[in-house]
Amino acid sequence: MQAVLLPVRQELYALPVRWVREVLTAPQITPLPTAPPEFLGLFNLRGEIVPLFDTAALLGIGTTDDVAFTVVLLGPQGPAGLSATAFPHRAVLDEPTGRSEHHSTAGMFRIGDRVAVLIEPPALLAPDRRLSAGSA
Amino acid sequence: MAGLDLGQVRALFAQEAAVRLARLGKQLLLLEQASGDQELVDSVFRELHTLKGSSAVAGFEDVSRIAHELEDLVDGMRGSATAATAEAIDRLLTGVDELNAAIEAGVGPLVPSPDAVADTMPGQRTEEPVPPDAAPAPRTESNGNGVVMVPMERLDELVRLVGESASAHLRVGRMLQERFRIDPASCAEYTKLSRSLNDLQDRTMRTRMVPVSTMTDQMHRAARDVARARNKDIRWEVRGADTELDRGVLHRLTEALLHLVRNAVDHGIESAAEREAKGKPRQGLIRLHAMQLGSEVIIAVSDDGAGIDTERVREQATRQGVDVEHMSAEDLCGLIFRSRLSTAAFVTDISGRGVGLDAVRTAVEAASGRVEVRSERGAGTEFRIIVPITLAVLRCLLVEAGGQRFAIPFHRVITSRRYDAEAVTRAEGCPVVWVDRRPVRVSRLADTLAMAQEDPSDGPVVVLGDTADSHAFQVDRLVGRRDVVLKGLGPPAPHLPVVAGAGVEPDGSILVVLDPPGLIRRARRAAATDAPPAPAGRHSARRHQVMVVDDALTVRELQRSILERAGYEVRVAGDGAQALSSLRQQPCDLVLTDVEMPNMDGFALTEAIRSTPALANVPVLMLTSRAGDSDRQRGLDAGADGYILKSGFDEGSLLTAVNRLLGGTP
Repeated sequence: MQAVLLPVRQELYALPVRWVREVLTAPQITPLPTAPPEFLGLFNLRGEIVPLFDTAALLGIGTTDDVAFTVVLLGPQGPAGLSATAFPHRAVLDEPTGRSEHHSTAGMFRIGDRVAVLIEPPALLAPDRRLSAGSA
Repeated sequence: MAGLDLGQVRALFAQEAAVRLARLGKQLLLLEQASGDQELVDSVFRELHTLKGSSAVAGFEDVSRIAHELEDLVDGMRGSATAATAEAIDRLLTGVDELNAAIEAGVGPLVPSPDAVADTMPGQRTEEPVPPDAAPAPRTESNGNGVVMVPMERLDELVRLVGESASAHLRVGRMLQERFRIDPASCAEYTKLSRSLNDLQDRTMRTRMVPVSTMTDQMHRAARDVARARNKDIRWEVRGADTELDRGVLHRLTEALLHLVRNAVDHGIESAAEREAKGKPRQGLIRLHAMQLGSEVIIAVSDDGAGIDTERVREQATRQGVDVEHMSAEDLCGLIFRSRLSTAAFVTDISGRGVGLDAVRTAVEAASGRVEVRSERGAGTEFRIIVPITLAVLRCLLVEAGGQRFAIPFHRVITSRRYDAEAVTRAEGCPVVWVDRRPVRVSRLADTLAMAQEDPSDGPVVVLGDTADSHAFQVDRLVGRRDVVLKGLGPPAPHLPVVAGAGVEPDGSILVVLDPPGLIRRARRAAATDAPPAPAGRHSARRHQVMVVDDALTVRELQRSILERAGYEVRVAGDGAQALSSLRQQPCDLVLTDVEMPNMDGFALTEAIRSTPALANVPVLMLTSRAGDSDRQRGLDAGADGYILKSGFDEGSLLTAVNRLLGGTP
């Protein structure tokens, strides 16, 4: 499977390439007041207002302090950004090497000596399945 | 129609039927008021006859049968000036409803084109709505008259793209200035493109507009049906039916307007006997009056009935624990928009359950509007719905709070004024300020938005509200006004009650548009535990000081005498530069400035005040003879809080404006 590898803190996640629209360097983020912690804010993508999510917070592995890159997904409800802490690379995933635990992931894959966990974007971004709800 | 299958034929029939049924309803209501009009009778007959034939071709036998029965009924009216009785019209209107239901059961909801329904009375008949040889196109159709039906989402997309083009154009202007040091205003190509884009934006907005007349027949029918059910005699009158507004806005208002019309007939208009006893005409008047005022449309529903019984409202409100002791009659009328308050003498199956007007308010607010009521006992009641012409562009007040810039829709801003720590009092554990002699709770906007704010602010307060509630929010500073091309934030962005949407600024940054009702609700919930706004500490019990800036000695001294008589302390300056120099040494509480002055004009002075941190929150009022819209806009863009024309200047208007900005008395 063709995938984009998304570095999130010390870990590596994989996104099926068919979901990925483009990769950007850190965009200028406008925070939304009262938003839950997994939501970083909005950014302007050539005139289009796109929401940006903290991938680490969505996956329950902490929070991202610095958004180095953003992967823009073309989801069923419109575009959305996922934060990455280093440059995302393209890779081919072979057979899965193990099961993953998080509800919005679909198995582990070997990338050299590292493990990449495959993300299912619709499940990750589904509003009712996001981890926290710190909004009003 | 060779080559069309039954589904396509039925789709064509559905389009034709939608137009014919809407036209029939309109003609029948007119026939009731002009029962001898044989031309109308013939026209109704023709509509039914054509419908009968078309429905048979489309295989709708039940539709054809109903149309045939109605056709017989209308045939019996021919040649009789008195046959179109209310009972006969009842039967025919019910028949139209039955036809509608039978067709919808076969093909789904019918949606007539507003343009196709309008102005199709006898003598003005247009061509058939559907070209007979055209294959049905379910989403985009032409009626053969050069009119094309376009799905709303395509128009929305067009509006969005035009808005983005305008933003991109402004960015290009900025780039010309910054990178190439070319003033865009001096570049002919740039200004020509500006004009074209403005025209394009204007024309695009207009494609979404429909006249109010597209829903007045529905209102007329509702009024007529209630009047029949309650045995009342009414006259229906429409004014300003050609007033246009955004189709989406009108659509959202339809239910609210229907409710107001039914309410007016059911509870407003008295019985004929009561009216005669009061010396009124037997026939009650229900009027729908639409008009455009600036960027807003006002739709008023009025009746000449009994008016609202404010004593009864007072009793009911008291029973529900509302403190009505100091309320005026106007305030009491406003209470009827609250849930569970109804003034109807009895509960009917039409209205009066006490939830209707609350729902009206909610519907109007959903269309970014507000609703007001005026009533005089014995003379009648008028409900006014005031909505923006379009929701695509929202006029906003720009404020800064917690270090971030926000837009607040202008139609929710009651007033803004300087924050006076001395004038803040407390009630029920919450800080309160006085606004027009009413206590209004105050919160810091940054606190309500859960933003970290270390230093106490002495920035101004912005009072937001609607008919139900108001709340004051202290901001860091007022930035100005802006028309924002609003984009809703649907999923996957989270739904946040305090956020209405966002817009893209000319520099590419994103401006968050706040939702005042959501803000008020959130502030109310937090109010009990909110810390009071910290006193800024620099205000003392002293008279307010006003700086008057004008190069004309007579005008300057006239203003000084008016303000000093009213108790203000006044300083004067002959031009902007002199004023700025004086203000930097010693700030004042308000600046009242002329526009055209030597050395530094009023616009430049206002901009300089706004960009000087120590002066940024000083209210600026402009007084000028320049009446042009562009000058007014330029003043507001520069950061002025108000604008008074010399042509309309008098002592009262000056003091009202100054008092309002300074929060009351000297």
